[in-house]
Amino acid sequence: MSDDFDRSMWRFLADNLPARADKIAAVDQGRAVSYAELAAEAGRVADWLVRRGIRPGDRVIVHLRKGIDEVAAMFGAWKMGAVVINVNIRWTPAQLAYVARDSRARAAILPRNALEALVGEHALPEGTAYLVQGKAEGLVQGADPWGALAADQASAPDEPDPRGLAMIIYTSGSTGAPKGVMLSHRNIRVGAISVADYLGLDESDRLLSVLPYSFDAGLNQLTTMLLTGGTVVHQPLTMPAEIIRMAQAESVTGIAGVPPLWNQIVRLLVDRPTDLPALRRITNTGGKIPPNILELLPQVFPGVDIYLMYGLTEAFRSTYLPPERFAAKMGSIGRQIPNAQVFAVKHGEGVAGPGEQGELVHAGPLVSMGYWEKPEVTAQKIRPCPELAHLLGDEPVVWSGDLVRVDEDGDLWFVSRMDEMIKTLGFRLSPTEVEDAISQSGLVTDVVAFGVEDADLGQAVHAVVTYLPQADETALAAHCARAMPHYMRPQHYHPWPGAMPRTASGKLDRPAIISAARAALHN
Amino acid sequence: MSLSKDDLLRYIRSELNIDTPLDGDTELFSTGMLDSVAMVGLISFVEQKAELRVQPGDVTLENFDTVDAILAYVQTLD
Repeated sequence: MSDDFDRSMWRFLADNLPARADKIAAVDQGRAVSYAELAAEAGRVADWLVRRGIRPGDRVIVHLRKGIDEVAAMFGAWKMGAVVINVNIRWTPAQLAYVARDSRARAAILPRNALEALVGEHALPEGTAYLVQGKAEGLVQGADPWGALAADQASAPDEPDPRGLAMIIYTSGSTGAPKGVMLSHRNIRVGAISVADYLGLDESDRLLSVLPYSFDAGLNQLTTMLLTGGTVVHQPLTMPAEIIRMAQAESVTGIAGVPPLWNQIVRLLVDRPTDLPALRRITNTGGKIPPNILELLPQVFPGVDIYLMYGLTEAFRSTYLPPERFAAKMGSIGRQIPNAQVFAVKHGEGVAGPGEQGELVHAGPLVSMGYWEKPEVTAQKIRPCPELAHLLGDEPVVWSGDLVRVDEDGDLWFVSRMDEMIKTLGFRLSPTEVEDAISQSGLVTDVVAFGVEDADLGQAVHAVVTYLPQADETALAAHCARAMPHYMRPQHYHPWPGAMPRTASGKLDRPAIISAARAALHN
Repeated sequence: MSLSKDDLLRYIRSELNIDTPLDGDTELFSTGMLDSVAMVGLISFVEQKAELRVQPGDVTLENFDTVDAILAYVQTLD
């Protein structure tokens, strides 16, 4: 089995040839490519990179809208041995320029308007090679149009060390500059093998890709489809009605989402039930779905397997709850995925047992190579676990910073980010508990709870809420008084106008929301 | 209703921070100019200005991809 782990990224695509040469690998709105066509398109990009002097190990930025070209650009870079940095198309010119400089990228593949925004303070170093989607006329020096790429020369692929660097995923912290998580070919390969295994994917599958390829779970959809010889269907739009329309039109067998997306899709399907006969499974990652939405999932997706998953970019993917336990354990993140070792650790004591809480730590072949050129931060986040020394020796593990509870069967439940726990009136309170109880009211669409220093209480519970039409604080406070113990009830409600900000991968941007609410308190 | 073409163009230019050329038939979402966060803002602007409720199933490219399409959609609700 471990032989199978040690393959380069390019093999994901190349191993489908020639057996599946004519099978459809990827679908965009109005366009589809076979495995052979996708490999040829990637080959053209690889040839261009080589011609522009890019060498194996150099960093190449891919900053494209979700689609076939984006996949071809990534695999083109992998074919000639470069390291891919997929910068989400929704990131700003300032963020793109930061990542390009921090990684010392030598090439960027991007749409024309994104290139034209890289001027003044955002300009990249002279000599950067650009491959540009869009109009060819009047491009700046150093930029070549995608449309003029030469035919694939079928060059021999580079053969990188599978344990070497394949990709850097930059995560946008609202505090501090983005950090790049380094993934090896092997990390990504093991991630695909493990997830394809527990989701039971095969070549008859057609997964709908809405989540960005710059996000571990989004990338994993693509790699599992290439691993099994399936088909990936691209939907760059995040409009729920368009997602469901495409799922139906393209007979997709799986949809992956994050909580805010499920929230919108469920509301749409309650309003307008839609038959999706080909759909076999849906998966959630990137946070906890509010309980009122979780309960509706089996109703709006009858007969569909529901997988709740959990992953950290630093360890790619970590746990999942099998669908047969969904009804009994709605909201649990389950246990470790195949090939991963995941524990809940009580600091200084040992492994947390049934009924106890601990920090989630992750060991095994999915543990990433750490942060790009940040050895101190890496040593803090990925280090040996003395509490597990009897099992792992001094093997480094990822410390998630997430507090989880272990139930009587050994399934894990997310409690809170460790640094977001609210200490109030002598209780240790998880913001998630408060948020779940508020969501249950059916009066809000988004909610974020946090603690504010308070002389009498230790910390006071605050809640930022986006009200549904016709809902207000009076109604919500009345619900909280009925549904929550006194120490859990928010002392202060911050109404948020409209939807709350999301990160580029679609998760609620908690730090930004909390700091805006805190700032409003001081005004 | 009191939602005009100018209201919408002004909102998209200023609130959503779009400085590329924009008119009634500029494609907003299918081109990637606006994202899902902008979409939610735009919908609540339309709801407030036109004093109506946009049903989740109505948020489609057909109804929302251009300023002209939004105006035509709002007409159908009157």
